[in-house]
Amino acid sequence: MIEVANVWFTYPEGTIALRGVSLRIGDGESIAIMGENGAGKTTLIKHFNGLLKPQKGTVLIDGIDTKEVSVARLARKVGLVFQNPDHQLFSSTVEEEVMFALKNLGFTNEEIKERTNWVLEFLDLEKYRERSPLSLSGGERKRVALASVLCVKPKILVLDEPTIGQDAKQKRKLGELLKKYQEEGNTVIVVTHDVEFASKYFKRIIVMARGKVIADGPPNKVLTNQIILNESSLSPPQVTILSYEIAKKISNFPKDIVLFNDLMQEVIMRVKR
Amino acid sequence: MVLIEIKNLSFTYANTEEPAIKNIDLTINEGEFVLLTGPSGCGKTTLCRCLNGLIPHFYNGEMEGDVIIDGLNTREHPVYELAQKVGLVFQDPENQLVSLNVEKELAFAPENLGLSREEIRRRVEETLQLLKIEHLRHKAPYELSGGEQQRVAIASVLTLKPKILVLDEPTSNLDPKGAEQVLKTIKKLNDELNVTIILIEHRLDLILPYTSRVILMNKGEIILDAPPYEAFCSSIPEEIGVDIPVSIKLYNELLKIGMKFNKVPLSAKDAAELLTGVLK
Amino acid sequence: MSYTMFSAFEFKRKDTYIHNLDPRTKMLMTFIFMTVALLFTSIVPLLITFIATLVPVLLAKSIKEWLSSLKGTTMLLIFILVINSFVRDLNFAIAMVLRLIVLITAFSAFFLTTHPDDLAQALIQMKVPFDFAFALSMATRYVPTLAREAQTIMDAQMSRGLELQKGGLTQKIRNLIPLIIPLIVNSVRRAMSIAESLESRAFGAIKKRTYLYQLKLKKGDFFFICFLALFFVAMIYLKFYSPFATWIEWKLPL
Repeated sequence: MIEVANVWFTYPEGTIALRGVSLRIGDGESIAIMGENGAGKTTLIKHFNGLLKPQKGTVLIDGIDTKEVSVARLARKVGLVFQNPDHQLFSSTVEEEVMFALKNLGFTNEEIKERTNWVLEFLDLEKYRERSPLSLSGGERKRVALASVLCVKPKILVLDEPTIGQDAKQKRKLGELLKKYQEEGNTVIVVTHDVEFASKYFKRIIVMARGKVIADGPPNKVLTNQIILNESSLSPPQVTILSYEIAKKISNFPKDIVLFNDLMQEVIMRVKR
Repeated sequence: MVLIEIKNLSFTYANTEEPAIKNIDLTINEGEFVLLTGPSGCGKTTLCRCLNGLIPHFYNGEMEGDVIIDGLNTREHPVYELAQKVGLVFQDPENQLVSLNVEKELAFAPENLGLSREEIRRRVEETLQLLKIEHLRHKAPYELSGGEQQRVAIASVLTLKPKILVLDEPTSNLDPKGAEQVLKTIKKLNDELNVTIILIEHRLDLILPYTSRVILMNKGEIILDAPPYEAFCSSIPEEIGVDIPVSIKLYNELLKIGMKFNKVPLSAKDAAELLTGVLK
Repeated sequence: MSYTMFSAFEFKRKDTYIHNLDPRTKMLMTFIFMTVALLFTSIVPLLITFIATLVPVLLAKSIKEWLSSLKGTTMLLIFILVINSFVRDLNFAIAMVLRLIVLITAFSAFFLTTHPDDLAQALIQMKVPFDFAFALSMATRYVPTLAREAQTIMDAQMSRGLELQKGGLTQKIRNLIPLIIPLIVNSVRRAMSIAESLESRAFGAIKKRTYLYQLKLKKGDFFFICFLALFFVAMIYLKFYSPFATWIEWKLPL
């Protein structure tokens, strides 16, 4: 459970990144945080694992005030995967890369072995176990970076822009993986620009603009709201744009569709016989 | 008029076993707007590097076949000569903007060619106006938004007056607003100045209405080269993991249940048009 | 961290008389202040020189940045004070501290007010080879980028439980590996990427490159050069002809 209470944060050079943000994120939720560059998304997620501490207000992770614990302690509960895997990878083998966090966080040798096996299997990286992470392709390196955080099995998994540079197949795989992890009872949070990805795989969309939360709800309410979209410079998912256009011509056609299957259903329902 | 002719091109990077691209045969005419796409690792970036001579002059490896740009064989001409025919724009603006301010960035390329100060000034002014970025003239790279940075990166290769512009995932690192700005700029260059565009992009829905041609690559080879309405109606994109724009997906699904249409919708508006006759 | 120590050497864009001076004029300034500082070992002339070096810093409205970097060097200054009091005497020690402050300020006045690109252009016009001057300006251009990257890498590794403060000296050194390797690897990657982009813009096409902007010395430069020349001559006179020997050698009554 993440409780953010009226958090304000200003960077040393003076930019006010968060202006009174309040949120509640329960266990097992799947959330996409969206908004323009500079809206405060990355600043917010850095508060979840204590990298940044609020200057006003509090952030509680399972009741613990982030101001009172170290980042390392929170790393057991909150796993944060950064955008660029090359900012993390440094070991001689994928296996060692994965074990890094496990060793730091004081797991026993048994646990380390078990979790390493689990995560390499889960992310289809077993074949690369002995390879150097730096020799792998971009997409594979991203998976290794994710593995190196996922092995901790954090109850809250946070990913910053996980879909940048990924092709459609990789995105699909990632989305399904995250869904699977969330269905096991964990909270999954992503920061993303990708409306398509967000609408397909996440149940709750939080939109930020200029340091504030301006929308918080399911995709079919948030991503179809023109006012919110304009304020955050987001475009609606393709499916939604299509449903708008169709609604212009066909009366009673719903405008708040985000998933393709829903769109097909509505169209087929209305086909003239 | 044929601007790019690629004959039986293959390239294997040094210290690798498999060729990154193989058996590429391609002809591109002046004024075309080509969308190059395919799953990660399919060879699109390698192909781009062959177009301005980075391959074979900058990257070591084995090249077979020939690439002829506006009559020049890339094997026989150095990159700085080919750069005046083909402008190459990369993904990360941070690694392309090296100067103090936008004006100097635009001057960088013509300065490298030793052009006269008057000519450099003329080209800088022209390009600033063309891309409507005069107001950014004195700004430093870090003072610009992502979209502005990429437009400056495009401007900085345009000052060499290339006939061809190749862009390798220029919107990857940008937010939707920035991406839109950049794509609009590219379209304008193609429309108004007949610049030949080769664009590597994943956001197909935004580009499709502008392109005349889609080239699909997979595992180093070109597996499809067709106009958009043909390319996405086949099952190939789905097989290799490339997303099909939603309007065409809808069209394909409706075809499956027996409906017939006389046109393939390339945009949401097209699709809506198509449906007006058919839905109650 | 302790980035404040470097803040006096980081260019900040401002519109002041000093900022607008030709970099070559400012190079002369730093050189003259440095030479004069090294001429003297007594308090009074060094004090005079110190005041002279403060003039450009004041005119450049950059006192804040200069002060914050002095703060960062307090340890060093105290060290110099203590060592020299034992080696010679307190007066000498104070003079040495003053000398160091003058040197820091002289360089600070240059780097605070000169953009790396202008420095590169100045070097080029002084016939330094383009490749060298360009490498220099590129290095400075990417310093903030690297600093940001180092911070991100630190954040990423801390998020995996890395604790930099924990453990003895060997542990602390080992903890640097997950920070240094990604930094190096990324820098190499970045260098390749930049090189690609430069090649694609005809870098190195011909030896005789042209330049859109030329640095030209202006009226303001000549005034400043006169000021520097007068100052230099006055100090030389003071040193070698010591007409006021007594008060130059004035020492604290200790």
